[in-house]
Formats: sequence, C-alpha cells, structure tokens
Amino acid sequence: MADLRDQTLSYRLRHEWPAYLYLLPTTIVLLFLNAYPIAYTVYISLTDFGTGGRFSLLTYHYVGITNYISAFTTNASISWGLIFNSLFWAAGSVALFLLVGLGLATVLNQDLRGKTIYRTLILLPWAMPAFITILIWANMWQVDYGIINEMLATVGVAPVAWLEHTDTAWAALFVTNVWLSFPFYTVVFLAQMQSIPKDLYEAASIDGAGMFSKFGRITVPYLMPTIVFVGLMGFLFTFNNFYPIYLITSGGPGVTTQIFITQSYDDAFGASPAFSTAAMYAVLDFLIILVITVVVIWRTNLTRNWLK
Amino acid sequence: MKKQHSRRAIRILKRAASHAVLIVACLFALFPIYFMIVASFSTFPLGAISASILVPRPSQVTLTSYHAILLDQNPSFVAMLTNSLIFAGSAALIGLGLAAFTGFALSKFNFPGRRTFVYFILLISLFPSFVMILPFYLMFAKLGLIDTYIGLIIPYSAGAVVFSGILVKNYMDSIPDDIEEAALVDGLGRTEAFFRVLIPLCLPVLGLAAFLAFVGPYTDYAFAHVFIDTSNLWTLALGLYSINSPEGQGVQNYGLVCAFALVMSLPIVAFYMAFQRWIIGGLTMGAVRG
Repeated sequence: MADLRDQTLSYRLRHEWPAYLYLLPTTIVLLFLNAYPIAYTVYISLTDFGTGGRFSLLTYHYVGITNYISAFTTNASISWGLIFNSLFWAAGSVALFLLVGLGLATVLNQDLRGKTIYRTLILLPWAMPAFITILIWANMWQVDYGIINEMLATVGVAPVAWLEHTDTAWAALFVTNVWLSFPFYTVVFLAQMQSIPKDLYEAASIDGAGMFSKFGRITVPYLMPTIVFVGLMGFLFTFNNFYPIYLITSGGPGVTTQIFITQSYDDAFGASPAFSTAAMYAVLDFLIILVITVVVIWRTNLTRNWLK
Repeated sequence: MKKQHSRRAIRILKRAASHAVLIVACLFALFPIYFMIVASFSTFPLGAISASILVPRPSQVTLTSYHAILLDQNPSFVAMLTNSLIFAGSAALIGLGLAAFTGFALSKFNFPGRRTFVYFILLISLFPSFVMILPFYLMFAKLGLIDTYIGLIIPYSAGAVVFSGILVKNYMDSIPDDIEEAALVDGLGRTEAFFRVLIPLCLPVLGLAAFLAFVGPYTDYAFAHVFIDTSNLWTLALGLYSINSPEGQGVQNYGLVCAFALVMSLPIVAFYMAFQRWIIGGLTMGAVRG
C-alpha cells in the first residue's frame, strides 16, 4: 500500500507492524502444532523407539541413521517397493486425471444440448465426502457380493478377485481415484477453455486447421500453466492420499500396493508397533515430495502468483 | 451437394459421439451414489446382494436399514453425530478465525518477513497430515490428552490452518487495495476496515474455508481411530467404519453401511448443493489463477 521509494525496512516496520499481531496466533499454531511435531518425527526416526525389543516403548535410544541404513540394506525390497508404488500411484493417477479431464472438458466445450445437465451430473461425486464414497467403492470391488462382480455375472463373466492380484488391485484403485477426482479436473479445464479467445480458433479454421491440430496448437499451449499447476497439486495430493489404499486394498495383496503413508500408519498403529520405522518412512515421504516440488517450481516458476 | 451431405453426416456423427461420451461419464459419476441409495432401501439378507437390486421393485423397498442405524445402535447415532459436530464444528471455527487473520496479514500488509512466512507455510503443507498422527499421539499420551475432546480438536484445527490460510490470502489478493484505502480515507482504522469492509467481501472464501475445515474432521477416520478409545466419544466416521467391518464377521450388511453412509453425508451434500457456486468457484479459482 505504499510507494516503492517508501519500502525501506524501517518504514515497513513502522507501518506494517500490525501484521505481526494478526499472525501471532497462527505462528504459535504453526510452531507448536506443526513444526514441533515434524521435528519430533525426525527425532523418532533416529531412535529405536518401538523396535528395540520388549521395553523399548518405555526407554528408547538415539541410534543415528541406523534405521535409514537398514531401510536400504536389510529391508531394501520393502523400501524400494514403497518408493515405486508411491510414485506409480501418484504419477499414474495424475496422468489419468489429466487425460479424462482434458477429454471431457473438450467434449463439453461445444454447443451441445443438455450441456448444463451433463456438467451438473459429472460434478455429483464431489458432493459426497471422499471417505464415505471410498468405503462404498471398497465394497463394490469385493469378490463375493461386490456389486461390480454381480453385474458382470449378469452378462456371464466369472467373479474377478479384484483385490487379490496386484494388477487388478491397482486397476481398482485407479478407477476409484479417477471417479473421485475427474469432476474437479473437468471443471477446471472447462473454465479455462472457455476463456480462450474464439477468434484464435476461427483464424485457425480459415487456415485449414483440423480438430486435432487446433487442440494441439491452441488449446494445450493455452492451458499449459493450468495443466502444470493442477498436475503438481494432484501429484502431491495423491502421493499422500491415504484412504483409497487404506480402505480398498490395505496395501495388499501382500505389500504390493502399499505406499509410504499407509505403510507408516500400519507400522505405527498396526499389530506390532514400530514407531521409529513409521517415523522414518514419514521422513522419506516428505523428502521425496520436497525434492519433486522444488524441482518443478524451479523449472516452471510456479510460485510467481503465491509470492507476489 | 454430395460433399455437403457428408459434411452434415460428420457433424451429426460428432454430435452423437459427444453425447455418448458424456452419457458414459455421467453414468460412471452417478453409479456408486445410485448403488448406495438402492442398497440402503433393499431387503437383502446380511452381505448377500445381487445385481437385481439395481432395478428395485416397490414391494422390495424397506426402511429396515434406516430404522436400525438411527434407533438400534450403541453408541446411538445421535450421540455419534453430536460428537462429530463438536469436533468438526470447533475445528472449523478455530481454523476459520486463524485463516482469516493469516490471509489478511499476508495479503494486505507488506511487512518484513512476509515471503519467509509464506515459504514456511508452504513447506509445512508438504508434510503429509496423516504422518502427524504419530507425533501428536506420543505428545498427547504424555499430556494425558488421549481420549478427550481437546485432544482431537487441537490436531484438527492445526491441520485446517495451513490450507485455509493460503486460500484466504489468494482470495484477498484479488480484492483491490483501493477498497481498503477508501475505508481508511473515510476514517476507519485498519482493523476496523478489515472487519467491516474486507470480511464481508471475503464471505465466499471464508465460507469455503469453513466448509473444508469442517468436512475434514467430520469424515476423519485415521486420527479418530488412534485418539479415541471410549465409545461415548465415538464419531460418525468411526461408527461407519465399524459397521463396515464388524468384528468377528467377514460379511457386512450392505443395507446398513449404505444407509449410514447416506445419512452421514446428508449435511455435507445439503451444504454443498446450497453453496455449490461458491465452493466450485473458490476451489477452481486457485487452480485457474496459477
């Protein structure tokens, strides 16, 4: 709210100090209820809390990076599996979100009868809380009495044990996840497509451009900033999207669909608590997310709007 | 003549294909919700279900499941609903207040350290909320806060601040400074201008922030499962989960699960329908602006 020449430190301190008062409660919350627990998690990951034998819940010791070393030596197959699964889950989901979202938005972005009705119906999955609909999907994928298998039975298809094979378990997860997210992507892309100036397309038509070249040369470049932004947000969200995996496959069969966040939860609160292992996987999760975010932001200048 | 004909045929074909794609998308979107509704009214025995419930006959419609979940439960549905409303309502109120002040300070003040603060919030938001359960659990076990209202309201509120703060800031950024300046010229103080001018202008985003801060705790299972032992603190999410995976039995009663799920979603769906424009607008705005 001030001229540039007035932007000296002392001027800003004199005139903008009330901001600190407004931020005081939030700062307290961020320090004590966010930063401290995060630091505490890092510390637990450097101890033998819950993994050091019978009495380790009462007394635990600092063990340095021992947990991290054993994660990539004795438990290497689990850890690499988690890295692969988490990335596969996030990248695969985002690819599907973008594909379905862009496709449906393109179809909706024409003069069609009943367009508003389609748009309203497509948005319906969004009205229901995700935890509840994921639970319903988990029931729908059941091998016995799951409605999907019952429907397949009416056309003579034998029951599929969706959640007992790694491939079909992933398929079930991806279908569910697309159902949860495609309304958002469709609406965002549609809103953005409607803001593309019409004369761009008219000019392209005069030059003889077809449907696909118009999509590739006008629509996609125009939407690129949005695609990158929602793509990154979708990736970060899905990487740590707990409920679909926890409720539908529980990481199974075996640990073949387990991701960091579900493994960490199971390690901490499952049958045999291993707090230090749980904390270690949480820290690894955070480090991977951090690296990916920093690289994407650095390559695409995404924070421009947040920090202006 | 012939060329015009084929052009028209292509146009009609394109139109038909578009409708086909959209109809498939709508069926996909609707199916689970439709399934929930018909299953909740069906008379099928425990666990057993067949595709025939998808075409319900009037004679088969029954309210047994609704009767069972609303009246014959322990803890009662009303008790669980009350707990859910206490947890989610408190978290939404606290989170909303903090988010409004945070957004105001970050958007309308140019104080030293502003950038650092935004970076700090963004960094914290990268740390997955689900792994906060472990440190909170260990901290609160020491403080004796496990199995109390406060013990769950604190992490819920803390979780709401990060996302809502950024949401409110982005919205306030889009309100021209002139509006606030005009209020200052009229003799209002900065705080007064905030409460009397900015807050009313920000109602849509504040409503959205409150809604999101409410839905999270209202449907949270992961925290509640760990933090709550006694059944008189049970929330609806815990109740739904336990109906879905009854101990000792492999099969669940789909009718009960679906009826419970629908009644539990009702407040959220009603709110969503009433404020659809604000909610969709608010959530897509951030993405489109990016």
